[in-house]
Amino acid sequence: MPLRNLPIRRKLMTVNLLISSIVILLTCTAFITYEIITLRKAMLQGYSTRAQIIAANSSAALAFQNEADAADVLSALKTDKRIMTACLYDDQGKILAKYPSNAAAGVFPDAPRASGYQNGCLEIFSPVVQGGRTLGAVYLQSDLSALTDRYRVYAGLAAIIIASSILVAYLLSRMLQRQISLPILALAETARVISDHHDFSVRAAKISDDELGLLTDAFNQMLTQIEAQDMAIKKLNTELEQRVVQRTGELEAANRELEAFSYSISHDLRAPLRTVNGFAGIVLEDFGSQIPEEGKRYLERIRDGGARMGVLIDDLLAFARLSRQPVNRQNVDTARLVQNAIDELKPQRDGRQIEIRIGNLPPCQGDAALLKQIWVNLISNAIKYTRGRVPAIIEIGCKLDDGGTTYLVRDNGAGFDMKYVNKLFGVFQRLHRTDEFEGTGVGLAIVQRIVHRHGGRVWAEAEVNHGATFCFTLEEADKL
Amino acid sequence: MAILNPFDRPCRPCDLKRLFPVWVVVSALLLSGAIEMPAQTKISREYQIKAAFLFNFAQFVTWPPDAFTNAAAPFRIGILGEDPFGAFLDETVRNEKVNGHPLVVQRYRSAKDIKDCQILFVSRSESRRVKRILADLKDRNILTVGDMEDLVESGGIIRFSTEKNKIHFQVNLEAAKNANLTISSKMLRLAEIVTPEKD
Repeated sequence: MPLRNLPIRRKLMTVNLLISSIVILLTCTAFITYEIITLRKAMLQGYSTRAQIIAANSSAALAFQNEADAADVLSALKTDKRIMTACLYDDQGKILAKYPSNAAAGVFPDAPRASGYQNGCLEIFSPVVQGGRTLGAVYLQSDLSALTDRYRVYAGLAAIIIASSILVAYLLSRMLQRQISLPILALAETARVISDHHDFSVRAAKISDDELGLLTDAFNQMLTQIEAQDMAIKKLNTELEQRVVQRTGELEAANRELEAFSYSISHDLRAPLRTVNGFAGIVLEDFGSQIPEEGKRYLERIRDGGARMGVLIDDLLAFARLSRQPVNRQNVDTARLVQNAIDELKPQRDGRQIEIRIGNLPPCQGDAALLKQIWVNLISNAIKYTRGRVPAIIEIGCKLDDGGTTYLVRDNGAGFDMKYVNKLFGVFQRLHRTDEFEGTGVGLAIVQRIVHRHGGRVWAEAEVNHGATFCFTLEEADKL
Repeated sequence: MAILNPFDRPCRPCDLKRLFPVWVVVSALLLSGAIEMPAQTKISREYQIKAAFLFNFAQFVTWPPDAFTNAAAPFRIGILGEDPFGAFLDETVRNEKVNGHPLVVQRYRSAKDIKDCQILFVSRSESRRVKRILADLKDRNILTVGDMEDLVESGGIIRFSTEKNKIHFQVNLEAAKNANLTISSKMLRLAEIVTPEKD
């Protein structure tokens, strides 16, 4: 596990131990290196001194070529077990005496050379000088057991020191890391409790007065603020919900009232209208002969106006009914629905040459009766506004894309100016004069309401005298 | 640490004086009878070694400062009586110095001729007069050397002896003390210390 993912207690311990181990290791290394260098120097110095003593003692033996005395002088070396071999050279480089006396001549260098550590041992050469005359030289060879013994002692000591230091560092850092880790752990625990239970009333315990204490204080302060804000938000939310419920209720009531009102108005308007229409008809029938021609024409116009008002009221009632009627969703065979609509509109097409092109129409989910109303209204519009076009072409189809299914009805009729497109789906909004194209201006409003009640969207594109295209979807893309 | 190379001085094989240890070894071989040599040669080899020993005595014995007239005065090795060394001694000491005193070989016919001398070799030819000669010289700073059997008893300081065909020497410390001479303990290690019986 990488260091940065370790728990903070182990991280602190690891860092402490790592640093102290490295420091101790470096210290020991430096100390031992220094000691080894000093030791080697001291050993060289010591054996040089010994060789010089032997040299001083053996000058007479060399001068008088007394082998027995030379051997005697060398035999003093036996007190030092580390001296392996030694010998005395005369001034011709010939060996006068050897130590040990039975040593083979081959183990000695042919001639004196520089002192130093060679071939795993220490070699010392020291000249024998008497009265300014060099009489020969002493050769000493010592094994390095003095060094290796000491190295072993150092290694042992270093191991003990390192082990005990690391142990002490471990125990100390175990104790001291609490100073740092405990407040942090307390903070972490508090944070965990808060995030688990969303309880902002919990507070972290302050353990020390250092930066961690500051952190704890700041943390607690933040908690206080969050708690206050949380409560404020909750209160606001509750209030808001209450307000929404209240407003929705008010709105629904107002809407219901409005619908009831418009329904009852529409309904109640019929009775006086019928009276006006009926009596206008009776006057024409019963007293037609007594009324001058001009009077008859006025009466006709009264009847026409009354009839138109009747249609308007019917449409308005149908439109108002749509809001009250629930949407009964089911699988709908769109192709058949469209065919039914076209069949239903047969009287309107009488005497017209209309080419109706029906494309692929996949089934959909919706209220069959309401959907049929959409198709009837749109196709009826297309038939109406292609009047005078030969041939009149009406295309019915759909587009499948990421946004789902878009149904469309396209005609090559009168079209309209796109700058009035936002008025297109309003109730009683008309873009053409009544004497040009008859109608109440409720058809497209009904289409829009049905589409909206299905959660869809309706729009139109057109150009004056170049036809119009009406498109609608039954469900928003994101709901699919 | 700088190590002195004892042999960094060039060795001159032609220089006979520097070869005395070789002679010693050769002599030792000859004396040990390894090779049969004519008596005359054997004796001359013996004195070759003794000449080297005389030279070494100059190294290991300390004379008082008043033994010399001045710091550059010659160091005299005298031979009283018949000279058994021939040219060996002259060759051994040629161009050598002891503490700044150039070594000189001086031959004396009579003890009366001895004036300024540091080492005196008393030849066998003087055996009859040796007691008197040494008595005359005993308070002077002269290292008396010889190879007569009674030399030490007669008051001489160092006597050459031959043992197992090797040349050794005996030292009369009392006589040396009387002559105010200090013999190096290193040399004494090699010597046989003898004390003459008091008459």
